[in-house]
Amino acid sequence: MIMHTITPPPASHFDEMLASLAPSQSQTQGQFQSQLQSSEVMAKAKPMPPMPPLRFGPREHYQAYNQWLEATPEQALTQRRAQADLLFRRIGITFTVYGDESGTERLIPSDVIPRIITADEWTYLEKGLTQRVTAINKFLADVYHDQAILKAGLIPREQIEGNAQFQTKMVGVKLPHDTYASMAGVDIVRNNDGKYYVLEDNLRVPSGVSYMLMNRKMMMRLFPELFLKQTVRPVEHYPAMLLQTLRESTDIDNPTVVLLTPGRYNSAYFEHTFLAQQMGIELVEGSDLFVKDDYVYMRTTRGPQRVDVMYRRLDDVFLDPLAFREDSALGVPGLFQCYAKGNIVICNAIGTGVADDKSIYPYVPDMIKFYLNEEPILNNVLTYQCRKPSELSYVLANMKNLVVKEVHGAGGYGMLVGPAATAKEVEDFAAVVKANPNNYIAQPTLSLSSCPTFVDSGIAPRHIDLRPFVLTGREVRMVPGGLTRVALREGSLVVNSSQGGGTKDTWVLGDAEGGVEGKTEAEGK
Amino acid sequence: MLSRVASHLYWMSRYLERAENMARILDVTQSLAMLDRAADSGGAMTPIVITEAQGAFAETNLPATYVNVIAFLAWDKKHPSSIRNCFESMRKNARAVRGSITSEMWENVNDTWLQLQDKVRIIDPMMTGNEFFEWVKERSHLFRGVTFATARRDQPYHFTRLGTFIERADNTARILNVKYAQEAPDTFDEKEEDNETDYYRLSAVLRSVSALEAYRDTYRDVIDARRVAEIMIFDEKLPRSLRYCLDEASLVLDELPAQSGRMPRRIAAEINARLRYGTIDEVLAYGLKRYLADFLLDMERLGNAVNAAYMELH
Repeated sequence: MIMHTITPPPASHFDEMLASLAPSQSQTQGQFQSQLQSSEVMAKAKPMPPMPPLRFGPREHYQAYNQWLEATPEQALTQRRAQADLLFRRIGITFTVYGDESGTERLIPSDVIPRIITADEWTYLEKGLTQRVTAINKFLADVYHDQAILKAGLIPREQIEGNAQFQTKMVGVKLPHDTYASMAGVDIVRNNDGKYYVLEDNLRVPSGVSYMLMNRKMMMRLFPELFLKQTVRPVEHYPAMLLQTLRESTDIDNPTVVLLTPGRYNSAYFEHTFLAQQMGIELVEGSDLFVKDDYVYMRTTRGPQRVDVMYRRLDDVFLDPLAFREDSALGVPGLFQCYAKGNIVICNAIGTGVADDKSIYPYVPDMIKFYLNEEPILNNVLTYQCRKPSELSYVLANMKNLVVKEVHGAGGYGMLVGPAATAKEVEDFAAVVKANPNNYIAQPTLSLSSCPTFVDSGIAPRHIDLRPFVLTGREVRMVPGGLTRVALREGSLVVNSSQGGGTKDTWVLGDAEGGVEGKTEAEGK
Repeated sequence: MLSRVASHLYWMSRYLERAENMARILDVTQSLAMLDRAADSGGAMTPIVITEAQGAFAETNLPATYVNVIAFLAWDKKHPSSIRNCFESMRKNARAVRGSITSEMWENVNDTWLQLQDKVRIIDPMMTGNEFFEWVKERSHLFRGVTFATARRDQPYHFTRLGTFIERADNTARILNVKYAQEAPDTFDEKEEDNETDYYRLSAVLRSVSALEAYRDTYRDVIDARRVAEIMIFDEKLPRSLRYCLDEASLVLDELPAQSGRMPRRIAAEINARLRYGTIDEVLAYGLKRYLADFLLDMERLGNAVNAAYMELH
């Protein structure tokens, strides 16, 4: 039987699971960290500095899992991974890769090794996320009404009103409970300084939650013994939580809620069907709906039925050809008129994109202070705004060490990862940035934490991030954890599924209650 | 339920039923080919005629041999009713409504499709044989079983069933029309033409609708042409007879929302009444070919009425 070991680790490589045993482990997670401090950390952070030889051991919360892993033959892992692949393919959990002729449906690789987060870490993250999303919702209500934050001079007016994601049609439109981002997918990474940083706030149509749910389902099916060994907090109630959030978005009793999908050619179609089924609501396409007397109806076998809440998985511009893009065949003509009159709730609201734009991201800590009068709990990554001449020249001079991103980009498209790029690529990208500096921001390359991942060559470190899904109804809610994405290519920092990323099950451990330490001793096998 | 969803479910099961019937027809065609001494005679074209694929087949410019016909109807990518394309269309429809069917049903459809991808790679179209046709039938049986065992008796279930029986009635009528009425045009006089080939031909027709055992049980006598027509049209217990299909379709229509269902219910009831109270003697007196042509037109009317009542987007 072939056993595998995880030692010796390359320095800083398995930092998600392994840590130096020197007693320097600090508990900084709970502490507030101002942007200034964090930016100093960032400026100093260079990927993989030469490290003195250290003794490594599993971080405490990985111990139970690690013992199990060391006692499990690699063959068994291979076999179960094959089972997982088969399961996913059979269930048809696929992802469409745009511009890939070969197959419109591809599996997102799901790794069999989980990513583990302690109860304390999660408490910290949950607090920070609640604060962040609350402030963002207040910001959105503000920019479409009073614009107090602009009047206070905290954000330059042209940054908002000149932003392509700012929907002028939404100015003055009153929404129930002032909720704009009912669901947010906040991308977070753990840097090699041990701290968590928010990379971006996805507030339009964040996706991936179905993979979070399927990963857990698969892990419980393949490795039931692991879940008996320690308490992993459940995530399966997410669809119920989402439905509650959607129902709370209107004041109507017992509302009819639907999920609007662009259709089966959309990359996230599996997720749309999955969520609609789990919530027991209709999955509709634009052609299933029509507008009459400023109300929205769906065509059913019993005749027209009124729709009160729409969970839309379609971008703003496609929603209504009469209000936005005329050539959209995916939307519902007249929808916006119904929406502006308050006859239907659309989640997320139209125009949320102005708050998750990368050019607005640097201001989120300011929003938290401005609207909540609190210090930001979660760290932002130091961001250079190329629209500012002084920062542009810094970016152009240091491109090799930065990640440069298009402000409206998503899905890992239109970006340059400096350290991984060739001189030619850097030069080409610099020209693009110079031609349109307003369109770019840059950040230092973070050394994303890496987690043991079962790849073709065996168990190897791969970089990961985390996307918790934050729901805002009458209160802010989330299931513990979220979707962990993993960059499967060696050394790659790009975790997007469209760029060869995979996913992992994310375990938030239960409160200590003896579960972790108590049981690990007994596992002598 | 959404009209679009009803339409996808209905067509999902129609395509599956179509694939199964095609497999049945081709299976029988192949066994008859072994009897057909002059292998290039018109017999090979029968399945093409049954499924009205003359035009599509002509475009291939292939000679009408058994092997070519079977390869074409099983695998051709351009022919919308080839078995391969039926499965393709079935999955497309199922995928569009996978939230409205049980996960077992969806997984079954998807699994069938994945297996078909393997078969596309492995099977030489020219060597397509009984094993493949059995597989198609088995997958179809499996899907119906999964549906029967897992689906709530609710609108999605009813539309799925409706598609099955409308498609099946259509197919049985076509098989009877061509394999029977055209190859042995209106010769129902009892002139003992009792040769071997005739026996095989008739039993093949029965086998294609899984009715051979039923025939033996019902008549306990030699297979004769008149009774073959009778059992395929009028038998109330044979799951592929016209009568049975229309009984089921009428029951299903009664379960669907009444507001808009008047026309499809009425047409189904009219067709059903003719099958309940008709006799084979009347049919033969009227002319079997004419009778079946009328029946196919009626089925088309029924299909259009179902569409107008439940599935139209405007």
